[in-house]
Amino acid sequence: METNHKLSGKYAIAGLGMVIGVPEKELEHRNAALPGHPMLANAVASPLGDLTAKDLEAEAARRAIEDAGLTTQDIDGAVHVHGGPRSGGGTTTHLDAFPRMLGCPVNFYYLVGRGGAWGTMGIVSALSFLELGLAKYIVIAGSTEDWSRSHSSEFRGQGNRGHIQPSTVSSMWSLPFGRTAAAHEHSMFASRHRYEYGTTERQFGAAAIQVREWACKNPLARMYGRPATIEDYEASPSYIWPYHVMDMAVSSDGAIAFVLTSIERARDCAKKPVGVLGIGFGDSQGGQWWEGAAHYTKLPVAKAKEAAFGQAGIQLHDVDVAELYDCFTAELIMQMEDYGWCAKGEGGAFVEAGHIGPGGDTPVNTSGGLLSAYHLADLTGISESIFQLRGEALERQVEGARIALVSGHGGEVISPGMCSLHSSLILGVY
Amino acid sequence: MAWKKPAPYTRGTLRPFWEGLTQRRFLLPKCNTCGTWYFPPAFCKNHKNEPFFGSLSWTEASGRGTIVAFNITKVALRSAFKDDVPYVYALIGLEEGPIISSNIINCEASAVYIDMPVSVVFWNIDELNCTIPYFEPDLTVVQSSQLNP
Repeated sequence: METNHKLSGKYAIAGLGMVIGVPEKELEHRNAALPGHPMLANAVASPLGDLTAKDLEAEAARRAIEDAGLTTQDIDGAVHVHGGPRSGGGTTTHLDAFPRMLGCPVNFYYLVGRGGAWGTMGIVSALSFLELGLAKYIVIAGSTEDWSRSHSSEFRGQGNRGHIQPSTVSSMWSLPFGRTAAAHEHSMFASRHRYEYGTTERQFGAAAIQVREWACKNPLARMYGRPATIEDYEASPSYIWPYHVMDMAVSSDGAIAFVLTSIERARDCAKKPVGVLGIGFGDSQGGQWWEGAAHYTKLPVAKAKEAAFGQAGIQLHDVDVAELYDCFTAELIMQMEDYGWCAKGEGGAFVEAGHIGPGGDTPVNTSGGLLSAYHLADLTGISESIFQLRGEALERQVEGARIALVSGHGGEVISPGMCSLHSSLILGVY
Repeated sequence: MAWKKPAPYTRGTLRPFWEGLTQRRFLLPKCNTCGTWYFPPAFCKNHKNEPFFGSLSWTEASGRGTIVAFNITKVALRSAFKDDVPYVYALIGLEEGPIISSNIINCEASAVYIDMPVSVVFWNIDELNCTIPYFEPDLTVVQSSQLNP
């Protein structure tokens, strides 16, 4: 593989802040699990209450700035990241912009993102502002109030799961056919993978269970304190077969923000710099009409991986911790294959063998992922990578983690059932 | 029975598709030069496309295909679909090449399988003055015994 080390060592994440919604009656218990730890300074559990996602975003940004040892007056660039105006979970109303709420003297503020590649789109675009000297410290932040939205009258009683989507022009093709939830599209991956490779329900369940085990070690995770067995999985409701409720991501209230700057400036900040070592993208749009069914058993990982790993100068075995986009279990199993941890078609068996959970040799989604922790697209994986690489991941710390892989997945509905984008982001400490 | 579900969006680039359905014709865009079929309309990958979408013509297709993937909704997430559960939402690989999505009707949900041959059903929605393309098992290919295992 041709390597291109242009990125490595030039830019870094200097501070992290997050506010994650948890059940109100568990708030005290959750925050009690955090004291005395650096995590407390930059992460907090909070019910949304009367706040909006944008309020939480400003608070997350404030915490990120503080975590970096900076002040609001140091911030000269700001990015709001989201899933795109027509995507599913995570698109929030822009009531206000966090740099104005915080009084940051920014030179620019813009919105960027697509599907599940919020943070990675934010980083790749912000790098050009740093490269051109248009900013020194850029805060990248995103937020969601999908959990609270799921309580609104339109969505009541749907179990807060599976990202039930409101009517939009882009979904008008399939709405008359009862395509009312993201699971109606994403479960096509599971359906086809079962058919092509004999992947079993218990193998999808194994992915959900192992990620849940990680969540039980994360006081910020939605499913903290809720261990589950494969029998629980099999007994859980299946609203949209072949998926059970546990195959679907949680929806969340919360915000995650981080500070991006040069490696030199990051070294003068309060925390250990987390280097941005590689970024890549792939998209399956180009072939959708003539590759047909082949699109439903793989994600467009190849080009994204080649670019990101090439820039970082690493191989798969160098990845200490992987924070993969697990909006649904099939996406997780396919990524185990598409990145090359196992052969195509063997993802189910690989996961079922226990590789990805606590104690496994390939730690995946150590926060509890989108399935069991919080769904802020790839910001979930970026924040968890920062904790892991700085050694702040509490009980779920992967010892000696130096290289992390974060993936993003998603996009507008451009065919009857597909999200087309894939992003790979390599973060690392020196 | 009154149509309570979301109405199909019959305007825009798919207007000829929906107009064809009201005449019980299943039309897909086809390249005038190389015969490649598309859905929805696209720029033909093999040819110049002048004027806009100019190399494609809406052409009657077979309305037949096979199931590529599917799911079964057992609990309606919207009340408009309460009377339909369990219902099958499927990706259908059309004989001509493109993939389309629809419901599989006139068949028990538990009898649906990947590779099942299906054909279009023209379902009139009188109050909306339009016709919706559902699919059903293609009985010229599927043995009826396969539907009642």
